[in-house]
Parts: sequence; C-alpha cells; structure tokens
Amino acid sequence: MNEIIAIIIAAVLSWINFVLIDTWMGLPEQPGVKGAEVIGRSVKRRGGDLAGGFFQGNIVCSPDASAGTLLASAACYTIGTPEGGLIAAILVYFGNRLCADPGYAGTTGALSITCIIFAASYIGIGPADFIVGMVLAIVTIQGLYHPFSSRLLGKIAKKMGRHTKLP
Amino acid sequence: MLIQILGIIVLLMALRTLFAQDRSERMLYLNAMSFGIAGLMALYIQTPFGAIIAITYFIASTISSNAIAYSIGRVKNEIILDE
Repeated sequence: MNEIIAIIIAAVLSWINFVLIDTWMGLPEQPGVKGAEVIGRSVKRRGGDLAGGFFQGNIVCSPDASAGTLLASAACYTIGTPEGGLIAAILVYFGNRLCADPGYAGTTGALSITCIIFAASYIGIGPADFIVGMVLAIVTIQGLYHPFSSRLLGKIAKKMGRHTKLP
Repeated sequence: MLIQILGIIVLLMALRTLFAQDRSERMLYLNAMSFGIAGLMALYIQTPFGAIIAITYFIASTISSNAIAYSIGRVKNEIILDE
C-alpha cells in the first residue's frame, strides 16, 4: 500500500481510537490532576470549550489513551504485534499510577490499538505507520488551533454525555 | 521517510513553543513535541529496548509536564494574592 495513504488511514484510526476511549472514560468531564485544570481554564480563556480544554489538559498531564496508542504502536513496531502492545499496556498502567491518575484510559487505549494494528496488518498498514499516524493525530488536537479543536472535542463529549458540569 | 516526517513535526512544535505567548499554551505544544520525540526514539532505535526507552521518556515527560502545569497555576494564584 502507498506509504502516504497508509499513514493517513493509521492517523484516522488512531484519532478515533483515542478520542472515543478518552471521552468515554470521562476525560472531558473533569481534570484528573491539578495541572489539567490549569490548562483547561487557559484554553477556555482563549475562546475554547472547557470540556475540550480539560480533555487537552488531561492528555498533557497524565498517560491517557493517546499515550497508550502511541506507546503500544512503538512497542508493536519493535517487539512484535500482540506482545508489544501488552507490554506497553502494563507500562502505561504503571505510568498512570506514577502520575497519581486512578484511571484506566491509557491501558484501554493501548489494548484496543493493539487489536486495530493486528487487524490493519492484513491490509498492509504496519505499526510504524501507526506511530507516525498517532503523532499526526495528536498534532491536530494539541498543535494547531486550540479553541477550534477544544470546541470539536466538547461537541463530541456532549454527544457522548460526558461534557463537564463544572463552571 | 517516517523519521523525516516526525522530525519536521518536532521542529514545528518546538518553534510554536518558542513563539507562543501563553504559558499554558506552550505546554500543549510541548506535549505534541514529546509525542514526536518518543516516536522518533522507537523508529530510530528499532530494538525492543528502544520501545522501553521511548515509553520511559514519554512517561517522564508527562510527569514533568504535570508538575510544570501545576506550578503555572500556583504562580498565577500567588500573584493575584499579592495584589
């Protein structure tokens, strides 16, 4: 398969994987750790959505499904497809506890992207494409224009019933 | 080619971090940069230990980012109290 198309498909799959899992696990609802609240309020002050801001802050401050996706892809690339993902899931679990985050978003993201990578290997997309795809996906959320991406995340959170109730 | 793509992303995010005004905004660009660097580590080293290195780096950068974001919030509160 053409490399560019493979990277784009991998980016879309990674984006869907981590946004859905993180939203479902409640990242837009409240800041998991204190640092996430600072970032969320700053995004809101700059014209964004508070729930989206909490989501972005939680991505920065603790290993969530986006970290799980990237690290599971890296582990699948270097170690091999199911084994690497499982090792990454264990290490991301330790990382969550180290960051005082009681959640399981990182572990869940790592395990689900391992299944997706396994399935995608049958159509010619390798784990290396998922590494680059995940970095591209996170740049669309954290690296382009924060008010717009936070509003998009807020809309998705509202649709899934996870929008924040904090003022 | 994959390493070149990641390298360009890391460079762009580093530049945005330098030129951003708001400190919290910088944290978001730094986070995107850390994703890119972790990916670069895994793609360049290409052995199982490379993945361990990338994971360790990424989790350490997440812990530091949390500490920095928390301190940014505390510094803002202290300035307001002084006034």
